Amino acid sequence: MSETKYLETHEWYIVDGETFTSGISDYAQGELGDIVFVTLPEVGQEFNKGDAIVEVEATKTVAEAYAPMNCVITEVNSTLETEPELINNDPVGEGWMVKAEIKEMDDSGMSYQQYELFIS
Amino acid sequence: MSEFKTTSLYEFHLSKKAKMIDFAGWSMPFSYEGTLKEHNYVRDGAGYFDVSHMGRLRLKYSQIEDINYLICSDLKNINNTKALYSIFTSESGTAIDDVIFWKFEDDLILICNASNTNKIKTHLDINSIDYEDLTLTTDLIAVQGKNAINIVNEIMTVPDKFSTFKEGKYIYARTGYTGEDGVEVMIDNNDTLDFISDLESRGVQPCGLGSRDTLRLEASLPLYGFELTDDITPVEAGLKWTITNNDNYLGKEAIDEQLNSKQHKHLKKFKLQAKQIARTGTICNSDGVEGVVTSGNISPVLGLPIGFVLFKSNPSDDLVEFDIRGNLVEGNLLYKRFLS
Repeated sequence: MSETKYLETHEWYIVDGETFTSGISDYAQGELGDIVFVTLPEVGQEFNKGDAIVEVEATKTVAEAYAPMNCVITEVNSTLETEPELINNDPVGEGWMVKAEIKEMDDSGMSYQQYELFIS
Repeated sequence: MSEFKTTSLYEFHLSKKAKMIDFAGWSMPFSYEGTLKEHNYVRDGAGYFDVSHMGRLRLKYSQIEDINYLICSDLKNINNTKALYSIFTSESGTAIDDVIFWKFEDDLILICNASNTNKIKTHLDINSIDYEDLTLTTDLIAVQGKNAINIVNEIMTVPDKFSTFKEGKYIYARTGYTGEDGVEVMIDNNDTLDFISDLESRGVQPCGLGSRDTLRLEASLPLYGFELTDDITPVEAGLKWTITNNDNYLGKEAIDEQLNSKQHKHLKKFKLQAKQIARTGTICNSDGVEGVVTSGNISPVLGLPIGFVLFKSNPSDDLVEFDIRGNLVEGNLLYKRFLS
Protein backbone atom coordinates (compact mmCIF):
# COMPACT_ATOMS: atom_id res chain seq x y z
CA MET A 1 0.00 0.00 0.00
CA SER A 2 1.29 3.47 -0.81
CA GLU A 3 1.29 6.46 1.51
CA THR A 4 -1.80 8.50 2.31
CA LYS A 5 -2.04 11.46 -0.04
CA TYR A 6 -4.10 14.62 0.30
CA LEU A 7 -5.90 16.91 -2.14
CA GLU A 8 -6.27 20.68 -1.98
CA THR A 9 -10.00 20.04 -1.58
CA HIS A 10 -9.22 18.20 1.70
CA GLU A 11 -9.81 14.60 0.71
CA TRP A 12 -7.30 11.84 1.44
CA TYR A 13 -6.73 8.70 -0.58
CA ILE A 14 -4.53 5.62 -0.36
CA VAL A 15 -3.73 3.65 -3.50
CA ASP A 16 -3.57 -0.13 -3.12
CA GLY A 17 -2.77 -1.74 -6.48
CA GLU A 18 -5.73 -1.14 -8.80
CA THR A 19 -7.93 0.45 -6.17
CA PHE A 20 -7.95 3.32 -3.70
CA THR A 21 -9.72 4.17 -0.46
CA SER A 22 -10.77 7.76 0.17
CA GLY A 23 -12.31 10.05 2.75
CA ILE A 24 -11.92 13.59 4.10
CA SER A 25 -9.03 14.93 6.13
CA ASP A 26 -8.90 15.59 9.85
CA TYR A 27 -8.62 19.30 9.07
CA ALA A 28 -11.79 19.12 6.92
CA GLN A 29 -13.84 17.35 9.58
CA GLY A 30 -12.67 19.92 12.14
CA GLU A 31 -13.75 22.78 9.92
CA LEU A 32 -17.15 21.19 9.23
CA GLY A 33 -17.98 20.51 12.86
CA ASP A 34 -20.38 17.71 13.79
CA ILE A 35 -21.21 15.62 10.75
CA VAL A 36 -24.85 14.51 10.90
CA PHE A 37 -25.71 13.04 7.49
CA VAL A 38 -23.69 11.47 4.70
CA THR A 39 -24.97 10.68 1.21
CA LEU A 40 -22.80 7.97 -0.33
CA PRO A 41 -22.65 6.97 -4.00
CA GLU A 42 -23.85 3.63 -5.40
CA VAL A 43 -21.45 0.78 -6.02
CA GLY A 44 -20.72 0.73 -9.76
CA GLN A 45 -21.11 4.49 -10.19
CA GLU A 46 -18.37 6.06 -12.30
CA PHE A 47 -16.69 9.33 -11.49
CA ASN A 48 -14.11 11.54 -13.12
CA LYS A 49 -11.39 13.27 -11.13
CA GLY A 50 -12.96 16.27 -9.38
CA ASP A 51 -16.55 14.98 -9.49
CA ALA A 52 -18.48 15.16 -6.22
CA ILE A 53 -18.76 11.62 -4.82
CA VAL A 54 -20.05 12.12 -1.29
CA GLU A 55 -22.21 14.82 0.28
CA VAL A 56 -21.49 15.60 3.90
CA GLU A 57 -24.00 17.53 6.01
CA ALA A 58 -22.62 19.02 9.20
CA THR A 59 -24.22 21.26 11.81
CA LYS A 60 -22.21 24.19 10.48
CA THR A 61 -22.40 23.66 6.74
CA VAL A 62 -22.60 21.18 3.86
CA ALA A 63 -19.61 19.96 1.87
CA GLU A 64 -18.78 17.54 -0.91
CA ALA A 65 -15.92 15.10 -1.20
CA TYR A 66 -14.42 14.89 -4.69
CA ALA A 67 -12.96 12.00 -6.67
CA PRO A 68 -9.14 12.04 -6.55
CA MET A 69 -8.97 10.35 -9.96
CA ASN A 70 -11.18 8.69 -12.59
CA CYS A 71 -12.72 5.64 -10.94
CA VAL A 72 -15.62 3.23 -10.42
CA ILE A 73 -16.98 2.78 -6.91
CA THR A 74 -16.52 -0.77 -5.59
CA GLU A 75 -17.49 -0.34 -1.93
CA VAL A 76 -19.00 2.33 0.33
CA ASN A 77 -18.71 2.62 4.10
CA SER A 78 -22.40 2.18 4.85
CA THR A 79 -21.74 2.33 8.60
CA LEU A 80 -21.50 6.09 8.06
CA GLU A 81 -25.22 6.20 7.27
CA THR A 82 -26.02 5.42 10.90
CA GLU A 83 -22.78 6.62 12.50
CA PRO A 84 -21.65 9.70 10.54
CA GLU A 85 -19.73 10.82 13.64
CA LEU A 86 -17.07 8.24 12.70
CA ILE A 87 -15.82 10.84 10.22
CA ASN A 88 -15.28 13.30 13.08
CA ASN A 89 -13.75 10.72 15.37
CA ASP A 90 -11.48 8.87 12.95
CA PRO A 91 -11.50 10.58 9.53
CA VAL A 92 -8.56 8.71 8.01
CA GLY A 93 -9.48 5.37 9.59
CA GLU A 94 -12.97 4.16 10.42
CA GLY A 95 -14.39 7.27 8.80
CA TRP A 96 -13.31 6.20 5.28
CA MET A 97 -16.01 6.85 2.70
CA VAL A 98 -15.46 4.88 -0.50
CA LYS A 99 -13.25 2.32 -2.16
CA ALA A 100 -12.94 2.49 -5.93
CA GLU A 101 -11.31 0.83 -8.89
CA ILE A 102 -8.87 3.17 -10.60
CA LYS A 103 -9.71 3.93 -14.22
CA GLU A 104 -6.83 6.30 -14.74
CA MET A 105 -4.07 6.51 -12.17
CA ASP A 106 -3.38 10.00 -10.86
CA ASP A 107 -1.21 9.91 -7.77
CA SER A 108 -0.54 13.65 -7.77
CA GLY A 109 -1.87 14.30 -4.25
CA MET A 110 0.23 15.96 -1.55
CA SER A 111 2.14 14.08 1.10
CA TYR A 112 0.97 14.69 4.67
CA GLN A 113 3.89 17.09 5.22
CA GLN A 114 2.97 19.07 2.09
CA TYR A 115 -0.70 19.09 3.08
CA GLU A 116 0.15 20.34 6.57
CA LEU A 117 2.00 23.27 5.00
CA PHE A 118 -0.94 23.83 2.65
CA ILE A 119 -3.49 24.15 5.46
CA SER A 120 -1.31 26.15 7.82
CA MET B 1 -5.22 40.31 19.26
CA SER B 2 -8.47 39.92 17.44
CA GLU B 3 -9.77 42.71 15.21
CA PHE B 4 -13.23 41.96 16.59
CA LYS B 5 -14.79 43.07 19.85
CA THR B 6 -14.25 40.58 22.63
CA THR B 7 -16.01 39.81 25.87
CA SER B 8 -14.10 39.76 29.14
CA LEU B 9 -13.93 35.96 28.78
CA TYR B 10 -12.02 36.03 25.48
CA GLU B 11 -8.72 34.74 26.93
CA PHE B 12 -10.66 32.17 28.93
CA HIS B 13 -12.36 30.87 25.75
CA LEU B 14 -8.98 30.59 24.03
CA SER B 15 -7.56 28.71 27.02
CA LYS B 16 -10.48 26.26 26.62
CA LYS B 17 -9.49 25.84 22.95
CA ALA B 18 -12.86 27.10 21.79
CA LYS B 19 -13.44 27.47 18.07
CA MET B 20 -14.01 31.20 17.73
CA ILE B 21 -16.22 32.80 15.10
CA ASP B 22 -17.06 36.33 14.11
CA PHE B 23 -20.57 37.03 15.28
CA ALA B 24 -22.01 40.50 14.71
CA GLY B 25 -18.54 42.02 14.98
CA TRP B 26 -17.63 40.03 18.10
CA SER B 27 -15.21 37.14 18.38
CA MET B 28 -17.33 34.53 20.15
CA PRO B 29 -16.98 30.82 20.96
CA PHE B 30 -18.76 28.67 18.35
CA SER B 31 -18.02 25.44 20.21
CA TYR B 32 -15.63 23.92 22.72
CA GLU B 33 -16.16 20.19 22.34
CA GLY B 34 -18.60 20.09 19.42
CA THR B 35 -22.07 21.45 18.83
CA LEU B 36 -23.96 18.18 19.29
CA LYS B 37 -22.17 17.36 22.53
CA GLU B 38 -22.90 20.82 23.90
CA HIS B 39 -26.51 20.59 22.69
CA ASN B 40 -26.89 17.42 24.73
CA TYR B 41 -25.21 18.92 27.82
CA VAL B 42 -28.12 21.35 27.90
CA ARG B 43 -30.83 18.83 27.04
CA ASP B 44 -29.57 16.29 29.60
CA GLY B 45 -27.73 18.37 32.20
CA ALA B 46 -26.60 21.97 32.24
CA GLY B 47 -24.45 24.27 30.15
CA TYR B 48 -23.40 27.89 30.33
CA PHE B 49 -23.13 30.31 27.43
CA ASP B 50 -21.15 33.53 27.27
CA VAL B 51 -23.69 35.77 25.57
CA SER B 52 -22.04 39.00 26.70
CA HIS B 53 -22.02 40.23 23.11
CA MET B 54 -25.75 40.90 23.46
CA GLY B 55 -26.55 44.51 24.26
CA ARG B 56 -27.54 45.41 27.82
CA LEU B 57 -29.12 48.78 28.45
CA ARG B 58 -30.43 50.05 31.77
CA LEU B 59 -33.62 52.06 31.31
CA LYS B 60 -35.46 54.36 33.68
CA TYR B 61 -38.68 53.09 35.17
CA SER B 62 -40.08 56.61 34.93
CA GLN B 63 -39.98 56.32 31.11
CA ILE B 64 -41.95 53.08 30.92
CA GLU B 65 -44.89 54.73 29.10
CA ASP B 66 -42.56 55.93 26.35
CA ILE B 67 -40.82 52.56 26.12
CA ASN B 68 -44.18 50.80 25.96
CA TYR B 69 -45.05 52.89 22.90
CA LEU B 70 -42.15 51.34 20.96
CA ILE B 71 -42.96 47.64 21.47
CA CYS B 72 -45.89 45.39 20.58
CA SER B 73 -46.21 43.88 24.09
CA ASP B 74 -47.60 45.21 27.33
CA LEU B 75 -44.58 46.01 29.47
CA LYS B 76 -46.37 48.63 31.52
CA ASN B 77 -48.96 46.48 33.27
CA ILE B 78 -46.98 43.36 34.08
CA ASN B 79 -45.54 42.93 37.57
CA ASN B 80 -42.29 44.60 38.52
CA THR B 81 -40.64 41.21 38.90
CA LYS B 82 -41.27 39.95 35.37
CA ALA B 83 -39.12 39.22 32.35
CA LEU B 84 -40.78 39.92 29.00
CA TYR B 85 -39.94 38.84 25.47
CA SER B 86 -41.03 41.53 23.05
CA ILE B 87 -40.37 43.18 19.72
CA PHE B 88 -39.48 46.78 18.90
CA THR B 89 -41.68 47.50 15.89
CA SER B 90 -41.21 50.12 13.20
CA GLU B 91 -43.98 52.33 11.89
CA SER B 92 -44.68 49.72 9.21
CA GLY B 93 -44.95 47.04 11.90
CA THR B 94 -41.73 45.25 11.06
CA ALA B 95 -39.26 44.03 13.67
CA ILE B 96 -36.45 46.40 14.57
CA ASP B 97 -35.27 43.82 17.11
CA ASP B 98 -36.59 41.10 19.36
CA VAL B 99 -35.53 41.74 22.93
CA ILE B 100 -35.97 40.76 26.56
CA PHE B 101 -36.93 43.23 29.27
CA TRP B 102 -36.13 42.53 32.89
CA LYS B 103 -38.57 44.58 34.91
CA PHE B 104 -37.64 45.71 38.41
CA GLU B 105 -39.22 48.18 40.80
CA ASP B 106 -36.57 50.80 40.21
CA ASP B 107 -35.33 50.17 36.68
CA LEU B 108 -35.47 47.99 33.60
CA ILE B 109 -32.75 46.04 31.85
CA LEU B 110 -33.17 45.75 28.09
CA ILE B 111 -31.31 42.90 26.38
CA CYS B 112 -31.03 43.18 22.62
CA ASN B 113 -29.29 41.26 19.85
CA ALA B 114 -25.61 42.09 19.40
CA SER B 115 -26.18 42.92 15.74
CA ASN B 116 -28.87 45.43 16.74
CA THR B 117 -27.38 47.18 19.77
CA ASN B 118 -26.47 50.31 17.81
CA LYS B 119 -29.78 50.31 15.97
CA ILE B 120 -31.70 50.07 19.26
CA LYS B 121 -29.60 52.80 20.88
CA THR B 122 -30.31 55.11 17.93
CA HIS B 123 -34.01 54.23 18.10
CA LEU B 124 -34.07 55.06 21.81
CA ASP B 125 -32.19 58.32 21.18
CA ILE B 126 -34.68 59.40 18.52
CA ASN B 127 -37.52 58.69 20.92
CA SER B 128 -35.85 60.57 23.80
CA ILE B 129 -35.45 57.49 25.97
CA ASP B 130 -32.43 57.56 28.27
CA TYR B 131 -30.28 54.50 28.73
CA GLU B 132 -27.09 53.47 30.42
CA ASP B 133 -25.12 51.06 28.24
CA LEU B 134 -23.85 48.21 30.43
CA THR B 135 -22.68 46.00 27.55
CA LEU B 136 -18.97 46.49 28.10
CA THR B 137 -18.86 46.76 31.90
CA THR B 138 -20.86 43.62 32.58
CA ASP B 139 -21.09 40.10 31.21
CA LEU B 140 -24.15 38.00 30.48
CA ILE B 141 -23.95 34.31 31.26
CA ALA B 142 -26.87 32.05 30.36
CA VAL B 143 -27.01 28.90 32.48
CA GLN B 144 -29.36 26.55 30.69
CA GLY B 145 -30.59 22.99 30.84
CA LYS B 146 -32.57 20.33 32.58
CA ASN B 147 -30.49 20.64 35.77
CA ALA B 148 -29.71 24.36 35.48
CA ILE B 149 -32.25 25.55 38.05
CA ASN B 150 -31.15 23.12 40.75
CA ILE B 151 -27.52 24.05 40.25
CA VAL B 152 -28.03 27.82 40.09
CA ASN B 153 -30.22 27.58 43.18
CA GLU B 154 -27.12 26.55 45.13
CA ILE B 155 -25.54 29.89 44.18
CA MET B 156 -28.48 32.33 44.20
CA THR B 157 -32.23 32.45 44.77
CA VAL B 158 -33.93 31.31 41.58
CA PRO B 159 -37.20 33.11 40.86
CA ASP B 160 -40.28 31.68 39.10
CA LYS B 161 -40.22 31.23 35.35
CA PHE B 162 -40.17 34.54 33.41
CA SER B 163 -39.31 36.41 36.59
CA THR B 164 -36.37 38.60 37.54
CA PHE B 165 -34.24 38.97 40.66
CA LYS B 166 -31.33 40.92 42.09
CA GLU B 167 -29.15 39.34 44.72
CA GLY B 168 -25.69 40.52 45.72
CA LYS B 169 -23.56 40.90 42.64
CA TYR B 170 -26.10 39.14 40.41
CA ILE B 171 -28.89 40.70 38.36
CA TYR B 172 -30.83 37.97 36.56
CA ALA B 173 -33.94 36.48 35.08
CA ARG B 174 -35.25 33.01 34.44
CA THR B 175 -36.40 32.95 30.82
CA GLY B 176 -34.73 29.81 29.49
CA TYR B 177 -33.22 31.57 26.53
CA THR B 178 -32.36 28.30 24.75
CA GLY B 179 -35.78 26.74 25.21
CA GLU B 180 -34.67 24.69 28.22
CA ASP B 181 -35.32 26.11 31.64
CA GLY B 182 -32.50 28.40 32.67
CA VAL B 183 -31.26 31.58 34.25
CA GLU B 184 -29.53 34.47 32.49
CA VAL B 185 -27.17 36.29 34.82
CA MET B 186 -25.72 39.78 34.37
CA ILE B 187 -22.60 40.29 36.38
CA ASP B 188 -19.78 42.82 36.66
CA ASN B 189 -16.77 41.95 34.44
CA ASN B 190 -14.53 41.49 37.49
CA ASP B 191 -16.76 38.79 38.97
CA THR B 192 -17.42 36.72 35.86
CA LEU B 193 -14.47 34.31 36.05
CA ASP B 194 -15.29 33.42 39.66
CA PHE B 195 -18.90 32.81 38.70
CA ILE B 196 -18.14 30.47 35.81
CA SER B 197 -15.49 28.62 37.85
CA ASP B 198 -18.19 28.08 40.43
CA LEU B 199 -20.56 26.79 37.72
CA GLU B 200 -17.90 24.48 36.31
CA SER B 201 -17.15 23.06 39.76
CA ARG B 202 -20.84 22.11 39.90
CA GLY B 203 -20.67 20.29 36.57
CA VAL B 204 -22.01 22.99 34.25
CA GLN B 205 -20.30 22.70 30.85
CA PRO B 206 -19.23 25.57 28.58
CA CYS B 207 -21.33 25.74 25.42
CA GLY B 208 -20.86 27.81 22.26
CA LEU B 209 -23.13 29.69 19.90
CA GLY B 210 -23.38 26.65 17.58
CA SER B 211 -25.42 24.76 20.15
CA ARG B 212 -27.24 27.95 21.11
CA ASP B 213 -28.55 27.99 17.52
CA THR B 214 -29.47 24.29 17.32
CA LEU B 215 -31.14 24.46 20.75
CA ARG B 216 -33.14 27.54 19.85
CA LEU B 217 -34.15 26.14 16.47
CA GLU B 218 -35.23 22.84 18.01
CA ALA B 219 -37.20 24.82 20.61
CA SER B 220 -38.97 26.66 17.75
CA LEU B 221 -37.51 30.03 18.80
CA PRO B 222 -36.78 32.69 16.17
CA LEU B 223 -33.35 34.17 15.56
CA TYR B 224 -33.07 37.81 14.54
CA GLY B 225 -31.55 38.20 11.10
CA PHE B 226 -33.20 34.97 9.98
CA GLU B 227 -36.81 34.51 11.13
CA LEU B 228 -37.13 38.15 12.11
CA THR B 229 -35.77 41.06 10.12
CA ASP B 230 -36.49 44.70 9.35
CA ASP B 231 -38.78 43.32 6.66
CA ILE B 232 -40.93 40.94 8.73
CA THR B 233 -43.67 41.77 11.22
CA PRO B 234 -44.40 39.76 14.40
CA VAL B 235 -47.65 38.64 12.73
CA GLU B 236 -45.77 37.24 9.76
CA ALA B 237 -43.17 35.59 11.99
CA GLY B 238 -45.87 33.65 13.84
CA LEU B 239 -45.30 35.72 16.98
CA LYS B 240 -48.87 36.97 17.42
CA TRP B 241 -48.67 35.94 21.06
CA THR B 242 -46.23 38.79 21.68
CA ILE B 243 -48.84 41.35 20.57
CA THR B 244 -50.34 42.19 23.95
CA ASN B 245 -50.00 45.97 23.87
CA ASN B 246 -53.54 47.40 24.15
CA ASP B 247 -52.36 50.99 24.00
CA ASN B 248 -51.36 52.77 20.85
CA TYR B 249 -47.83 51.79 19.82
CA LEU B 250 -45.54 52.40 16.88
CA GLY B 251 -46.58 50.10 14.04
CA LYS B 252 -49.95 49.20 15.59
CA GLU B 253 -51.94 50.30 12.54
CA ALA B 254 -49.95 48.13 10.15
CA ILE B 255 -50.00 45.17 12.52
CA ASP B 256 -53.76 45.42 13.13
CA GLU B 257 -54.30 45.60 9.39
CA GLN B 258 -52.37 42.33 8.93
CA LEU B 259 -54.23 40.67 11.80
CA ASN B 260 -57.54 41.55 10.16
CA SER B 261 -56.76 40.90 6.52
CA LYS B 262 -54.52 37.85 7.06
CA GLN B 263 -52.87 39.01 3.81
CA HIS B 264 -49.22 38.74 4.71
CA LYS B 265 -46.17 36.51 4.63
CA HIS B 266 -46.30 33.38 6.80
CA LEU B 267 -43.43 31.80 8.70
CA LYS B 268 -43.85 28.04 9.13
CA LYS B 269 -41.92 25.20 10.69
CA PHE B 270 -40.93 22.21 8.60
CA LYS B 271 -39.45 18.77 8.97
CA LEU B 272 -37.76 16.64 6.30
CA GLN B 273 -37.55 12.87 6.08
CA ALA B 274 -34.22 13.18 4.31
CA LYS B 275 -30.51 13.24 4.89
CA GLN B 276 -30.15 16.74 3.53
CA ILE B 277 -30.52 19.94 5.47
CA ALA B 278 -32.56 22.69 3.86
CA ARG B 279 -30.42 25.65 4.89
CA THR B 280 -30.98 29.40 4.93
CA GLY B 281 -31.93 30.61 1.45
CA THR B 282 -33.24 27.28 0.13
CA ILE B 283 -36.22 27.90 -2.16
CA CYS B 284 -39.34 25.79 -1.76
CA ASN B 285 -42.84 25.50 -3.03
CA SER B 286 -46.09 24.35 -1.50
CA ASP B 287 -48.93 23.96 -3.95
CA GLY B 288 -47.81 26.99 -5.92
CA VAL B 289 -46.92 29.18 -2.94
CA GLU B 290 -43.25 30.04 -2.97
CA GLY B 291 -41.18 30.13 0.18
CA VAL B 292 -37.60 30.54 1.33
CA VAL B 293 -35.91 28.81 4.25
CA THR B 294 -34.86 31.25 6.98
CA SER B 295 -33.02 28.72 9.20
CA GLY B 296 -32.41 25.01 8.83
CA ASN B 297 -30.35 22.44 10.66
CA ILE B 298 -30.56 19.03 12.19
CA SER B 299 -32.73 18.51 15.24
CA PRO B 300 -30.36 16.45 17.38
CA VAL B 301 -33.29 15.08 19.40
CA LEU B 302 -35.41 14.10 16.37
CA GLY B 303 -32.41 13.12 14.23
CA LEU B 304 -34.07 14.87 11.29
CA PRO B 305 -33.56 18.12 9.41
CA ILE B 306 -35.89 20.87 10.62
CA GLY B 307 -36.25 24.56 10.01
CA PHE B 308 -38.34 27.66 9.41
CA VAL B 309 -39.62 28.73 6.02
CA LEU B 310 -41.15 32.07 5.05
CA PHE B 311 -43.98 31.83 2.50
CA LYS B 312 -45.28 34.71 0.40
CA SER B 313 -48.82 33.83 1.50
CA ASN B 314 -50.43 31.13 3.61
CA PRO B 315 -49.92 27.76 1.91
CA SER B 316 -53.01 25.55 1.82
CA ASP B 317 -51.04 22.31 1.73
CA ASP B 318 -48.75 20.71 4.34
CA LEU B 319 -46.50 19.22 1.69
CA VAL B 320 -43.53 21.30 0.61
CA GLU B 321 -40.94 20.64 -2.06
CA PHE B 322 -37.48 22.03 -1.31
CA ASP B 323 -34.89 22.63 -3.98
CA ILE B 324 -31.72 21.52 -2.21
CA ARG B 325 -28.82 22.14 -4.57
CA GLY B 326 -30.85 20.98 -7.56
CA ASN B 327 -32.51 17.99 -5.87
CA LEU B 328 -36.19 18.21 -5.04
CA VAL B 329 -36.72 17.03 -1.46
CA GLU B 330 -40.16 16.67 0.10
CA GLY B 331 -40.96 17.96 3.56
CA ASN B 332 -43.92 18.62 5.80
CA LEU B 333 -45.11 21.70 7.58
CA LEU B 334 -45.61 21.39 11.33
CA TYR B 335 -48.22 23.24 13.33
CA LYS B 336 -46.86 22.35 16.76
CA ARG B 337 -43.45 22.88 18.22
CA PHE B 338 -40.62 20.64 16.97
CA LEU B 339 -40.29 19.08 20.43
CA SER B 340 -43.41 18.41 22.45
